[in-house]
Amino acid sequence: MSNLRYVGHEEVRSVDGRARVTGEAKYVCDMTFPGLLYAKVLRSPLPHARILTLDVTPALAVPGVAAAITQADFVEHGNFGWPVKDNYVLAYQKVRYQGEAIAVVAAETEAAAQAGMEAIYLELAALPVVGDMQAALDADAPRIPPASVETDGNLGETIILRHGDPAPLLASSPVVIETSYDLRHQEHAYLETEGTLALPEPDGGVTLFANNQSPFINRDTVAAVLGLPPQQVRSIQPHIGGTFGGKDDVLYESSAQVAKLALLTGRPVRLIFTRAESLAASYKRQAMRVHLRLGADEHGNLQAAQVKMLVDSGAYASMTPMAAWRATMHAAGAYRYQAVHVDTQVLYTNNGYSGAFRGFGNTQAAAAVELAIDELAERLHRDPLEFRLQNCLRQGDRTMTGNLVAHEVGLAACLEWVRKKSEWEHQRTRYASQPADAPRRRGIGVACYFHGCGLGGEGTDFAVSTLKIERDYSITLTSGLTDFGQGSRTVFTLLAAEELGVEMSRIRMLRPDTRTAIDSGPTVASRASIVGGNAVHVTAAKLAQQLRLAAADLCACDPAQLVHIGEQYVGPQEEPHSFEEVVDHARALGLQLAAEGRWEIPAVEWDLETGTGTPYFAYVFGAQVAEVEFNRRTGRTKVTGIWAAHDGGTILYPQGARGQLYGGIAQGLGYALMEGYLFEDGVPQRTDLRTYRVPRATDVPEIEGTFIETRLREGGPYGAKNLAEPVMVGAAPAIANALFQATGERVRRLPIVPRPRSRE
Amino acid sequence: MELNFVLNGQPLTLTEVDEKTTLLQLLRDRLGLTGTKRGCDTGVCGACSVLVDGRLVKSCRTSPSQVAGHEVTTIEGLHGPDGGLSDLQTAFLEYGAVQCGFCTPGMVIAAEALLRRNPHPTRAEIRRGIAGNICRCTGYQQIVDAIEAAAARRQAPGGENE
Repeated sequence: MSNLRYVGHEEVRSVDGRARVTGEAKYVCDMTFPGLLYAKVLRSPLPHARILTLDVTPALAVPGVAAAITQADFVEHGNFGWPVKDNYVLAYQKVRYQGEAIAVVAAETEAAAQAGMEAIYLELAALPVVGDMQAALDADAPRIPPASVETDGNLGETIILRHGDPAPLLASSPVVIETSYDLRHQEHAYLETEGTLALPEPDGGVTLFANNQSPFINRDTVAAVLGLPPQQVRSIQPHIGGTFGGKDDVLYESSAQVAKLALLTGRPVRLIFTRAESLAASYKRQAMRVHLRLGADEHGNLQAAQVKMLVDSGAYASMTPMAAWRATMHAAGAYRYQAVHVDTQVLYTNNGYSGAFRGFGNTQAAAAVELAIDELAERLHRDPLEFRLQNCLRQGDRTMTGNLVAHEVGLAACLEWVRKKSEWEHQRTRYASQPADAPRRRGIGVACYFHGCGLGGEGTDFAVSTLKIERDYSITLTSGLTDFGQGSRTVFTLLAAEELGVEMSRIRMLRPDTRTAIDSGPTVASRASIVGGNAVHVTAAKLAQQLRLAAADLCACDPAQLVHIGEQYVGPQEEPHSFEEVVDHARALGLQLAAEGRWEIPAVEWDLETGTGTPYFAYVFGAQVAEVEFNRRTGRTKVTGIWAAHDGGTILYPQGARGQLYGGIAQGLGYALMEGYLFEDGVPQRTDLRTYRVPRATDVPEIEGTFIETRLREGGPYGAKNLAEPVMVGAAPAIANALFQATGERVRRLPIVPRPRSRE
Repeated sequence: MELNFVLNGQPLTLTEVDEKTTLLQLLRDRLGLTGTKRGCDTGVCGACSVLVDGRLVKSCRTSPSQVAGHEVTTIEGLHGPDGGLSDLQTAFLEYGAVQCGFCTPGMVIAAEALLRRNPHPTRAEIRRGIAGNICRCTGYQQIVDAIEAAAARRQAPGGENE
């Protein structure tokens, strides 16, 4: 690795950092244009209702109101959704969750837009609410999805995994545990709320500035509901204030709404959600109920697992079927088994709606199985970390889906690292001897995880990138994959600079724009660095080849004889030629100094009917130890230490990778201790950031983390795997397992409910 | 109403200021200083943090009249002696304390207020000093690293507080 100039170097800094520390970076909410109209959305006050009357004409009479729209303004009532087309950009006939958008007003001022929105005449007839997954399955439960979607009542999807036959193995296992876990909804709480701005174009099309993750899906969705060809809709991403999976469908809706208003009025229209709106209208991490049966032999070798999962999709599918599939593929954890069956049901309810959120189903799956594994270790009178080391996946083992892991596996090394750094044995022993009635009791716990790389069986996994050398010798880079804070623009820039042998400052990466970049599918599944990174790598190699040809011609030598020193090319005569000279010569030779490259993840296949196949081409692994202090009087838990090791292959951008690790752990801490987005009969109980608490600097302990850099034969650029999502999944179960040592009580629900113990 | 105050070192007189608006709205919508962010409208997230006479204030919970006659500093008003980045801004870049960047202006302001109040903060004091500001991306560790480093430099020979 030592001959690399940027890959893996500590000195690489964020390419977007400077504009962000000065406040110069423009987010959608910072953008304004002459003649701007402000949009305001009328939202459903009920979780489930029929729309009896909706009349926007009173809004049009309000001074300053320029336009008002409903579903009737869109093609096919604005029906959209991917992979399931069950949603509407504005409610059609029914509302299915509290906060669902019904109509939108555009006006000269925010106050006029608000007054216009309040003037809309809306009459709803309440329908019975399905607020519980079990109730959704009742034969007489009211049907939630539209009739146009093929489902079995409220059962949207059934996903199975079949590896061997666990029943006889469980029957003969001397130790079997059976437990259930209740994992509640989580809100992304990105600091920047949803925002879109639409500019009408002279050709009858529209340009959108939207803080969504996947501009191409946004473009195609908006074009379809407006009845425009996709090339007449342009979707641009300005700086984005965090997404974590949460800025897709909700932004497609808003983008379609403001685009329509811009076309109707011929003026720019901007819609920025208030925090209350963001909480009410955005999709969440799905709640899940997970039931596990795990069996081990008398030597503590795991034998088999049977898992049943109920997944709360809420009112619409969004990406929940795919997240549920990923949960299914990870449901028994990063261990060797002889047989595993998983049965997952995805259900429609009126609990808001759910979609993508960091970890994408594995956050829930790993939480459940890591709590169960801890309990099984206890039943076997085994140290929980030792028990994991005995059963964890190693190179050459088969995963819970029955697939051989041929690449290196850093899981045992991760477990050993956290054991050593946390002084595991010493602390376990120390905390085991605390007085039972001590006012503050400490505990230490562990969890480990695996996480499939890329989309896997969820879809075709490719990306396209372009590079062009400009007249001023700067280099323009595009990618169809995007950056919403996680640092992929820095990774792409450093990879292009590495391959081209130029300074990073020479490369200017354009902001994601459907007009200048090439469709690369959604930016999800922590795939930007691997798939997008490889596309950049392939593209840069093509461009570097042209430069080498020109340099060889200048040096009158074979390209193989060239040496690259700094940005200069040096031939056998030892005469250096600058980058500029080589570029000029390449142009004189008639070379086109532009390249386009595509990369696709090695194909895998999963058979949904039989529940068998290969879900992913590679896996990442990790382990985390948490130390907690439980206050018996208040019932509250404080996390006092976290040790984390992640096997993400080669680390391309170490400073950014550490940022992902720390940030993921903080979100996992929130998931464990405070972040339940709770519903009662479909009514959200947390309506602002005062009641929906996310971790603050005083809630998060000092974290000691590391990366175990294993080698991957084929895959990401320079052997990189992914990390942004999986680093989150270990934290919550590690904290919950630590709490068990402190309290002696097993956690069955996340987030953990504080319960004072002083009067017992 | 007419409003007189000092903004980023410049005396300013504004007429026809609506008393019902907030300092945040005044800064962003009327003065075009969009570095100060709006994250929650309820004073919980700290994205709208500014300095008033050097003290940390949430501009979404401050009325324009409350700053009459006072000195307001926003992220646009922070800079180093050479007019470039301030030491805290530089440290935020160096230590990877910036991800999506939406909390960053408010976080830098909170850090500035802290170091003016307490030039030798421990890491725990730094965490308490920025506890009014939510960052959803970084897990705070690199932010604490950056503030700790900037504080040490201010104390070093040749530093601001030498």
